[in-house]
Amino acid sequence: MTKTRHALTSVLMIALAGLMSVPFYYIVVNTFKTQQETTNSPLALPTTWVLDNYIKVFEGTQILQSLMNTVYVTAISIFLMLAIGSLAAFGQITGRSRTSQIIGAVLIAAFIIPGQATLVPLYRMLVGVRLVDSLEGLIVIYSCGSIFCYYLILGYMRTIPAEVLEAARIDGAGPFRIYWMIVLPLIRPILVTVGVFQTMWVWNDFITPNVFISSEEKQTLVLQVYSAVGQFTTDWPSFMTLTVIVLIPMVVFFIFMQRHIVSGLVSGSVKG
Amino acid sequence: MALSTTPDLQPLQPQTSSNRTLTRKRPHRLSVTSWVFMAPIAVVFVVLYVIPMSQSLYYSFTDFDGYVSNPAFVGFDNYAELFKDPSMLSALGYTIFYAVSTTILVTVTAIPLALTLNRKFFGRNLVRSAFFFPAVPSVAILGLVWGFILNPLGSGVLNSIIRSLTGLGPIPWLSDSTLAQLSTVAVTIWALTGWHAVLYLAYLQAIPADYYEVSKIDGASSWQSFRYITLPLLIPAMAVSQLLLMTNGLKVFDLPFTLTRGGPGFSTRTLTQSLIEDGIAQSRVGAASALAVLFLIVVGLVVLGQMALSNALQRKYS
Repeated sequence: MTKTRHALTSVLMIALAGLMSVPFYYIVVNTFKTQQETTNSPLALPTTWVLDNYIKVFEGTQILQSLMNTVYVTAISIFLMLAIGSLAAFGQITGRSRTSQIIGAVLIAAFIIPGQATLVPLYRMLVGVRLVDSLEGLIVIYSCGSIFCYYLILGYMRTIPAEVLEAARIDGAGPFRIYWMIVLPLIRPILVTVGVFQTMWVWNDFITPNVFISSEEKQTLVLQVYSAVGQFTTDWPSFMTLTVIVLIPMVVFFIFMQRHIVSGLVSGSVKG
Repeated sequence: MALSTTPDLQPLQPQTSSNRTLTRKRPHRLSVTSWVFMAPIAVVFVVLYVIPMSQSLYYSFTDFDGYVSNPAFVGFDNYAELFKDPSMLSALGYTIFYAVSTTILVTVTAIPLALTLNRKFFGRNLVRSAFFFPAVPSVAILGLVWGFILNPLGSGVLNSIIRSLTGLGPIPWLSDSTLAQLSTVAVTIWALTGWHAVLYLAYLQAIPADYYEVSKIDGASSWQSFRYITLPLLIPAMAVSQLLLMTNGLKVFDLPFTLTRGGPGFSTRTLTQSLIEDGIAQSRVGAASALAVLFLIVVGLVVLGQMALSNALQRKYS
């Protein structure tokens, strides 16, 4: 009785999951077809596997440039967020000055302020300092993610026993040394979790590059796919190919980081 | 690609032998330099939140168009204008429709999905991964791909499949106002249900199995154990999930925009799209700032309201 129920659930759920995944199957399978075949039999396997689309995309777009841009922006943004967030959490936990207490309390406001409410002034601000349409400008905007990092790191840092830091202090270590040599290695798990969570945000973000980037050589991958729709409007296989190439890094990231993605989802879902 | 490990709710607590933590006793000498550690985040907060938010507030009461150096004070005119502008009103209507319908529909699909994914069956890890996977790529890219699939021409993917199966003519998925609105909601449910199901799953797995065994011995039906054990214990998860759905729904931009560009007409234009176009492309800074301030108020109220509601529910059911 339970066995048939398990089998039934199995069949039903695998079928449903398969149906859910049809769009991904569709874009992957069509990258190996000619345009004629894509139009005539969109869901069939290719009769002959062709790689022309891949060659065309690598030759016809600046995809490698966009990849480099995305990696550059993501790496520096995540580094900055984790550095600023963990420094602040350390200051908050060791400090007893009123200033640091007040700063800690006020930062909560950042969770209620939606990005939309600050977008136009930020745009004007970046125009003023000539950072619009630059990758550094994007990094400046993304550094607002350090407040989210601060809160998650703070919660984790509070679980470090006071004796550990006291012992280091008695041994003569200064605050920066304690932060660097003792605290940072201890909080590595939360740094990984928050880092993975924020990487997915920055890598996948569309609204910020769409608003702040206008020149083609400064596009991120997501923005490049968006602008390619116009370029490939009648050439669907090429568009699908570009999409698949752009999705590959994210798929690899998912396969290696899924544990952290899920734990980041659970701990990070407090973000408003 | 198996989503094999599932997190428990506090997966990240290092082992401590002592319960004396830093919050209880702070080493004195570090206090002198603590503000140095907080300085960078204070700069981020002031530059990226305080200053732009104050500017939004200030501009919202002026006729600033991005060029004049001393704009005139116009009181609440910008706010009044907002509610007279038909494109803004339709953006408001669509955004609320989108936020409410995705919140309800994702919740009612994610909870049964999580319950099923919590049972033992062959291929479970693979199925979990398949449902979760749409949350991994950028929503903007998913919107563009779905734009090709739902292309309203006869050559669109879904339309050509429907024609070959049933012989029906092209369905105007994205070129009819109502269908386009429904399509954006449907694609969102496809993209988000797995993610929220995994969130619910994490909470489901934290429910001790004893509860169900005891209720079974006491003769509870499976509906009763769902209603009186599972559902009350899922309320914190529902609070988190619905808060995210609602606030992200109100702030939404990527998915409707990449799928439809806000069309046909203004039918799937979101508030965020209005704000970007008014404030940046057209330099109607005053009007956009008024919308930005309204955004802050509405999102803030939703956050507070949802917190109050989930607190009330928690008291009622526990």
